[in-house]
Amino acid sequence: MEAEETLAVPIEEIQLFIETVKGCSEYNFSDYSVKSLSRRLEKVLIDNKTTMANLVTKIRNNKDFLEKTVRDITVNTTELFRDPKAWHAIKYGILPQFKDYNTVNIWHAGCSTGQEVYSMLILLYEMDFFHKANVFASDINIQVLEEAKKGVYKYRFNIEYLDNFDKVIKENPYNPDEHTDVPYSKYFDINKVNDIIKMKQFLVAKPVFKKHDLVKPENVFYTKFDLIVCRNVLIYFNFDLQNRIFDFFHDNLFDSGFLLLGMHESMLGPITAKYDKRGLIYRKK
Amino acid sequence: MIYRYIIIGGSAGSFQIVTKILSALPKSFNKTIFLCLHRLKHVRSGFVEALSIKSNIQILEPYDKEHIKPGKVYLAPANYHMYFELGNYMALSTEEPVNHSRPSIDLSFFSAAFTFKNNLIGIILSGANKDGALGLKNIKDNGGLTVVQDPAECQVKTMTTAAIQTTKVDYILTSDQIINFLLKLE
Repeated sequence: MEAEETLAVPIEEIQLFIETVKGCSEYNFSDYSVKSLSRRLEKVLIDNKTTMANLVTKIRNNKDFLEKTVRDITVNTTELFRDPKAWHAIKYGILPQFKDYNTVNIWHAGCSTGQEVYSMLILLYEMDFFHKANVFASDINIQVLEEAKKGVYKYRFNIEYLDNFDKVIKENPYNPDEHTDVPYSKYFDINKVNDIIKMKQFLVAKPVFKKHDLVKPENVFYTKFDLIVCRNVLIYFNFDLQNRIFDFFHDNLFDSGFLLLGMHESMLGPITAKYDKRGLIYRKK
Repeated sequence: MIYRYIIIGGSAGSFQIVTKILSALPKSFNKTIFLCLHRLKHVRSGFVEALSIKSNIQILEPYDKEHIKPGKVYLAPANYHMYFELGNYMALSTEEPVNHSRPSIDLSFFSAAFTFKNNLIGIILSGANKDGALGLKNIKDNGGLTVVQDPAECQVKTMTTAAIQTTKVDYILTSDQIINFLLKLE
């Protein structure tokens, strides 16, 4: 990706794209942050070596191309145990609250290729919550969901995150002397020759993956949640849509349920009255 | 020209310079400073604390859609790109690294140049790659003022040399001169 001037794709072309997509699919990008949408669209135009006029024609006529474009527009960055600090909040601040629950429902909203979901499963297993947890994960894009379901990742892209695994699973930030020796092979196989990290079958079999578009306030899992994890997804939406989603999450959390956002995301405005915030963790009032 | 915003980019060898600059600026400094510094990937926390020790000005890692206030220093969070929006607030993204960097200095400089136009000063410090060179040019093209740390003083001069080659910069200054320059803006 080249650096580009902001709004390199003019607003009229962005509108044309939004209207075209709205007209021929269920996707609605109207409330995405304009600047980031503009950057993503420019990248799509450059990668496809095309103009907006040609792009929208192709989108109208080709469903697969539409799906591919949606994938290219959405940002699919995810890592195993991304931001150990956030995982420490889950490990020490959230999960222990579920100790006496019979079941625990967790939803990863915007799970991309699934690394965060498997990180959660590993942590649940280590904390002996695995058997009573129901783990749900969704994304707007079917292609990334298919990858998530497989639980197979490139080794060379993820090798540095083994360090994060150590920080979250083996170490205790509050007690430097504590060290739990957990072999990686308990949870995934590493094949350096084929450049593969493959999650163990018992992990892959556990989560329920479904397509879900956060723009639409519908609960595709037909259950409420004890914890919703939605990290670095809402940053691509405008303020109004963000707030509608915070409301939607509130409606779909059990009483005193938890919401975890990205390290540098926060709620602003009246919606804050509906949640208690402690550190990184939001809790339904 | 009224300069209200200062954006500083740097990587290897810039930490000491940024610390020095921040320690020399008074608490009453009323411009907004943005820092876009590459850091080692595994050092993800403790950076604000380390920079804050000698700074008289509050240093914050911004939240997405946080409003920009004068007299603050905003540090691009590790592993996010930092952008600026009309309406005086910031936005973050986890889009692909640019030139292996996230935060990318170029992206932040482009966004700042577009948003703050001629109210902006861009500064490039010591660093080990060419990130920031195009961004600084964009600041200049949008009417902003451009400053580069004197490569002779830089621990690693790749970044400053690239910036000077790409843009006809307004000033090439040593770190002491940069401090004096900023103090005179008051």
